Amino acid sequence: MRQLRAALARIAGIFTKDHADDDLRAEMESHLELETAEFIRRGMDPVEARRKAMLASGGLTQAVEAVRDQRGLPWIESIAADIRYAFRSLRRTPAFTLVVVLTLALGIGANTAIFSVVRGVLLKPLPHREGDKLVYLRHSMDGPGGASLQFSVPEIRDLRTGARSLAGMAEFSPWTQTLEGESDAIRMSGGLVTGNFFEVMGLSPVLGRVTQPSDDGGGVPPVMVLTYEFWKRRFNGDSTIIGKQVRVEGNSVTVIGVLEPAPSIERVDAFMNMVISSHHLSALMVEGRTHRMTDVVARLAPGATVDQARTEVATVYARMQKDHTEAYDPGSHYRLEVVPLKDALGERARLTLLLLMAAAAFVMIISAANVANLTLMRGVRREHELVLRAALGAGVARLRRLLLVENLVLALMGAAGGMVIAIGGLRLLISFAERYSPRANEIRLDTVVLGFTLALAVTIALLLSFLATMPKEGTFAAWIAAGARRVSGSLRKQRLQRALVVAQIAVSVVLLAGAGLLTRTMIALSEVDTGLRTEEVLTINVPLLQIGGGPGNPADMGAWFRQLMISDGQAKEKYDRIMREIAALPGVIAVGVGTSTPLRGSTTQMEVKAEGKIVAAGEAQPRADLRSADPDYFNAAGIPLIKGRPFRPTDQRGAGRVVIINQTLADRFFPNEDPIGKQIAWTGEVLKFSPISGDWRTIVGVVGNTKDGGPDATPRGVMFMPYAQELAIGGVLVIRTDRDAEALATGATRIVRQVAPTAPIENVMTVKQIKDQSVAPRRLNAALVSLLGILALIIAAVGIGGVLAFSVSSRTNEIGIRMSLGAQSSMVQRMILWEGGRLLAIGLVLGVAGAFFGARVIQGLLFGVAPRDPTTFIGVAVMMAAIGVGACWIPARRAARIDPVVAMRS
Amino acid sequence: MAEKLDIKQGTLALMILRTLEVLGPLHGYGVARRIEETSMNRLTLNYGTLYPALLKLEQEGCIKAEWRQSENNRRAKYYALTAAGRKQLAHETREWHQTADLIAAFLAPRPEAT
Repeated sequence: MRQLRAALARIAGIFTKDHADDDLRAEMESHLELETAEFIRRGMDPVEARRKAMLASGGLTQAVEAVRDQRGLPWIESIAADIRYAFRSLRRTPAFTLVVVLTLALGIGANTAIFSVVRGVLLKPLPHREGDKLVYLRHSMDGPGGASLQFSVPEIRDLRTGARSLAGMAEFSPWTQTLEGESDAIRMSGGLVTGNFFEVMGLSPVLGRVTQPSDDGGGVPPVMVLTYEFWKRRFNGDSTIIGKQVRVEGNSVTVIGVLEPAPSIERVDAFMNMVISSHHLSALMVEGRTHRMTDVVARLAPGATVDQARTEVATVYARMQKDHTEAYDPGSHYRLEVVPLKDALGERARLTLLLLMAAAAFVMIISAANVANLTLMRGVRREHELVLRAALGAGVARLRRLLLVENLVLALMGAAGGMVIAIGGLRLLISFAERYSPRANEIRLDTVVLGFTLALAVTIALLLSFLATMPKEGTFAAWIAAGARRVSGSLRKQRLQRALVVAQIAVSVVLLAGAGLLTRTMIALSEVDTGLRTEEVLTINVPLLQIGGGPGNPADMGAWFRQLMISDGQAKEKYDRIMREIAALPGVIAVGVGTSTPLRGSTTQMEVKAEGKIVAAGEAQPRADLRSADPDYFNAAGIPLIKGRPFRPTDQRGAGRVVIINQTLADRFFPNEDPIGKQIAWTGEVLKFSPISGDWRTIVGVVGNTKDGGPDATPRGVMFMPYAQELAIGGVLVIRTDRDAEALATGATRIVRQVAPTAPIENVMTVKQIKDQSVAPRRLNAALVSLLGILALIIAAVGIGGVLAFSVSSRTNEIGIRMSLGAQSSMVQRMILWEGGRLLAIGLVLGVAGAFFGARVIQGLLFGVAPRDPTTFIGVAVMMAAIGVGACWIPARRAARIDPVVAMRS
Repeated sequence: MAEKLDIKQGTLALMILRTLEVLGPLHGYGVARRIEETSMNRLTLNYGTLYPALLKLEQEGCIKAEWRQSENNRRAKYYALTAAGRKQLAHETREWHQTADLIAAFLAPRPEAT
């Protein structure tokens, strides 16, 4: 209590100093008078008395100081004084301050912004309860579509009973359906989940409830849990939504809850229980080992580690493969990995983000080097001042603190500027991260990011303070004597400055080389031949046929299927009407319909076999994309027919089964023969669960490959079936025009609306837009790294130019002497240029060497360009050299213009 | 003349409080003189020791200060004990006695060595 009171009084004391000083002086004076009076009373002479009184009471000034120290908090006051002093001296050199703060702001801003993305996307703990205990099980194999296989119900059962280190397994079966609204309908990325799903995931509802084990199985009402984001988007965050009914492909579903915001591997709009899909409850699904439709996230048992889970899962999986050889074709190398959920969510972003973080770190190095250089130059000019202060009793420690405070003020101003830059760039970075990560909405400038920024600023300030040479106690005289003439600083400092310039140039070159490689990648990607003959094609996705989850009761299968065939016929009639009317629009050359969008491909791959072709033992059964197309689809999409004929209107149900395959599939089965007329068929275990027939089909045509997996993916086999012979799945309209395809969108969409007023209409895009979209992430990559590279280049140019300018100004005298002794101004200019050119050359060599060894790291992000592409390296070196020489030119010119008379006199 | 002693901070506070208790409100000079006299000039106090100690006591709320006319018509700053100061003095006096007893017991000549 007493201490607290004293502390408060002392803090108050800081602010009442002036008044208190007067008071103290008066008190001292009265003390002196009282004492003097006492001596006079004892019979002393008044003058002598006063002298005696002063002696007796000790030094007045020291007393005042001692009282002051007791009154306030001296260390705060002296630091406040240091800060005031720092601001004053920085204000005296506004150009220096501005350049330093700006340079630091750029470096710190870039780092803060990118670190906030790294934190939000890769580092931050998951919002799930004990999210670090969640692991994603990735089932994969070689070949197209093999990267994410999912699990079948029997596989999950085996894992659940076999792996004790997994406490719970959350099952999620993607199930995209049409959600019908009052006046429209949309495709909803749904997922069917088991009752334990949310418990295992550690997620709670913000509204209502989530599914429970009592929602499992048949005979329960269908229920739906909305994701937070979908609730906001589709239902405008309506809090009365709980208990309401929504229509999902003809079924009524009750909304029971809204989930808290949480990232997921795939986009999800809503979760439903299994009862909505009788297929998911059927024996086919429950007993079919190869019927893999479910993603699995598991929660580690208490005390279990990821490594334990890995070992255990591997054992269980090996036993599964041994017991069910038919389900795991050895040629396809089935794999099962256990990946922490956080890592799985950050996987796609990791390499890109690490690249950006490295690039930002490089910019930080360059800007810190630049600031260090500026500080060194300023330090040389201030050396004299510092020595004087030391000699006058400031104390070396106190001076060090003064410098530290000054550098802290600079660095913190830079950090403040950096925060402004980071806030400005954050929106751009979030939209960038959205392409790579489901956690982009978690990116924030939170306290950890703020701490990072502060730590960065303080580190820089400490480094800068370290650079300054301080006079040692007792050597002041020598320093003062040498003092004023030491204008260029010590040799050690000059070496340091030059080393810093070389480092700046080298790091810039590395950064620019990276930017160059990524830019060339982006160009190469956008120049890739898509395989399509035209880009003026409009695509509209209008799924009209609703298949749903099968009959509610397995006994009704026959009736359900008859109904499905009727719906299929109705959907096809509508497509015909839509296409007839669109074909009549001006400029339309061809209209087709099929399951898939050109350049996007389909999500379904199945094994294929060709008559008389035996797959060698140990080799994977070939797989192909499953698609269908109507007769005009190829022409409309611009997919070239290489051999044979297109589909004909006569290729109907009941007519002979025919297919058209792409070049890749043709090469796979018929490398040296004509595929036309050969027999081919879908095959494999999965066929059991599919409405697709495994009958032999006759190949009537071969079409060219298209870049469906993105411009850098290797093409995969595709088998097209006539749209008329299969269910009208997908419903992608493809419209080719002889003018701007984008302008056609309004008219075409209106026609679709007239024919199918409530059908969901999605992805109204031209082929050109689809292509751009597939290159866009790479373009952003290249743009961001290039931006950082250019930033680095500018800072480095300022750096080398600045050091030379300093060198010229400190050598003015010497240059004056040289010129008066007959040196030509061109010689002086060459001398200065040579001084800068040497640094530039060393920096270039080091930078190119660094890029040469570093480029391998980003190999995974490159396409169409070798990591050590000589053209890029030479280009970057030439650019850096040109800009570097340009930066040296200005001080060199100034040196050449020095007037010897003026120089000698100064 | 007896040798001069250094005053420990806590001790000085105790002396100041006791002086004010005995003599009532007093200015800094008076406090110094009284302490010097009581110590029979074994202690001397200069400004640099006295005034910070007074300020500290004031900050702690043990004493309060006000400007007044002195007995010989000079303006001086008088310090007076507060209620908290009285309590503090009693507390410290008790503690001091205890410590003194303890030290005395320790330093007492040994009873009959065996």
